[in-house]
Amino acid sequence: MNKTVLNFQNVWKTYRMGDEIVNALAGVNLTLEKGSFTSMMGPSGSGKSTLLHVGGILDMPTQGTLLMNGKDTSKLSRKKQAKFRRKEIGFVFQRFNLLNQLTVMENIMLPSLDSENNKAEELLERIRLEKKHDKKPNQLSGGEQQRVCIARALINNPSLILADEPTGELDTRNAEVIMNLLKDLNENDGVTILIATHNQLAADFTDKILEMQDGKIQ
Amino acid sequence: MDIFRLSFKNLKRRKIRTILTMLGVIIGVIALVVLVGIGTGMTSYMKQETDSMMGDIIIVNSTEGGPPMASTVSNAFLSQNAVSQIENMSQLYNISVEDDFISQINGTSMYIMGTTTWSQLEFNGTPGVVITKNLVDQFGYKIGSNITIGNESMTITGISNTNSNMYLVMMDISKALPLNNYQASYVTADTRSNPETVKDDVQNSVNGTSAYTQSDEANQINSVMNVITLVVGAIASIALLVGVISIVNIMLVNVTERTREIGVLKAIGFTDREILSSVLLEAGLVGFIGSTVGVVIAVILLLIGLTVFSQQVGNINLLSMVPFWLIAGVIGGSTILSILAGLYPAWHASRLNVVEALRNE
Ligand SMILES: Nc1ncnc2c1ncn2[C@@H]1O[C@H](COP(=O)(O)OP(=O)(O)O)[C@@H](O)[C@H]1O
Ligand SMILES: [Mg+2]
Repeated sequence: MNKTVLNFQNVWKTYRMGDEIVNALAGVNLTLEKGSFTSMMGPSGSGKSTLLHVGGILDMPTQGTLLMNGKDTSKLSRKKQAKFRRKEIGFVFQRFNLLNQLTVMENIMLPSLDSENNKAEELLERIRLEKKHDKKPNQLSGGEQQRVCIARALINNPSLILADEPTGELDTRNAEVIMNLLKDLNENDGVTILIATHNQLAADFTDKILEMQDGKIQ
Repeated sequence: MDIFRLSFKNLKRRKIRTILTMLGVIIGVIALVVLVGIGTGMTSYMKQETDSMMGDIIIVNSTEGGPPMASTVSNAFLSQNAVSQIENMSQLYNISVEDDFISQINGTSMYIMGTTTWSQLEFNGTPGVVITKNLVDQFGYKIGSNITIGNESMTITGISNTNSNMYLVMMDISKALPLNNYQASYVTADTRSNPETVKDDVQNSVNGTSAYTQSDEANQINSVMNVITLVVGAIASIALLVGVISIVNIMLVNVTERTREIGVLKAIGFTDREILSSVLLEAGLVGFIGSTVGVVIAVILLLIGLTVFSQQVGNINLLSMVPFWLIAGVIGGSTILSILAGLYPAWHASRLNVVEALRNE
């Protein structure tokens, strides 16, 4: 009965730096079931970000196949890829990456496919920032910004949330708030989540911990 | 939210930078509209003037090479003989002889205007010998005093208030002709039949004359003014072009500065085309807002000019100076050029690699 959201089949990503060849991903096989909550740990440079970028169709594999909801993503045009990202994937970045010229509400609404903002209001309540509605991101704390970033990722009810070191810039208390929020979204809303992290505390919130090393999942 | 609202917000983000970029467009547009406005305004003013001043045809010495333009002093005159031949032609009526020439009075150069059409002129006193105010200021003449021109002594009958930078004496043509050896500058007349045929008649029957009709005159004014307007417009367009070209530069700076942000926009699902359009819109807005502000300022400047110089320019109206095509052309043209200026930066932004853009610090 479990549907597969994301499926890596022997995925390679190779970078060439002058004479040196780096296999950022070296034959990754990974299946994410709908409603799963997974974390990836591993040293810096082990390929976690690359895996999230490929999984989020921000980057194309050098070799191998990536299926998203059963669809081969390499068959999509650049335009279709963008539309797919907008609808199906929510990104959460280590450095929040909110737009400072927009208000909190506008940031959340930015990728919205629906001009009604009921969903955004609902999310704002969910992240407990109703009062910060019209604030600019640089008027918020790091933890608050990351909550806004999560709300932005959720606006189109995506199949998948990908978070690259979501607690990397936060203190322990704020990291816990973020992880609790993600856990709540996973448990109560059935959102599928994959995070990359250095932080054992953060990983402990997830149902499954993967270890990455030299572009491979151990 | 619509990505295009971002373009508006982005303009407000670096206000000084945006305003300085717009300033280039604004200055170019002001130069263009004011100069072309003066050109087109002058053209229509001169047409009005000649239409009201001249009859159906105007006859000059054939060495003139064209109909007399307002405010130019001719030095080729019609002989006394030619004038009397013209006056005797049965096809012509309402004949008026005009004689404008330079003469010396007590060693000072004066512009003498012999005329019969007093009704066209504004002055205090009665027709006869009318002098400009600067002569009054300079030599203390008043109505009733005597002035000696050539060997003739005349009594001043009126004073004109027109601001003239030269000394001007207007007198009855009968008084002026003897001072110029009975030669005339030009003769205007109405014709009893088609002006074009009468024009040929005059040229054939009176030696050494050229005749011009109103449409010749209008064409002459048009072609001269079009050249002037074109040259001046071209120079002002360079200013505008420089302003627009700076948009390429600024948009490139903006896009580079926002590399990471563009990466984020792509990561959350905006297409290359949406990124491209938003940058084009931003560039277009700079051109549109800049040119609109420029047109408004230019119109205000022209209005001020018209008020300050209302005495000289008379009833020239603003609409003839800044016709709709000029406003539409300048705003439309600047906007299109600005969008073109945004093309390269926009293309650059739309082709950014998402992952590299996201890694950009
Ligand atoms: N654009 C790139 N060009 C060259 N090498 C890259 C590029 N992106 C990543 N890499 C290399 O790929 C490897 C994996 O990087 P990354 O996925 O960022 O690891 P992690 O997120 O686990 O720290 C590293 O060795 C990194 O240097
Ligand atoms: Mg990383």
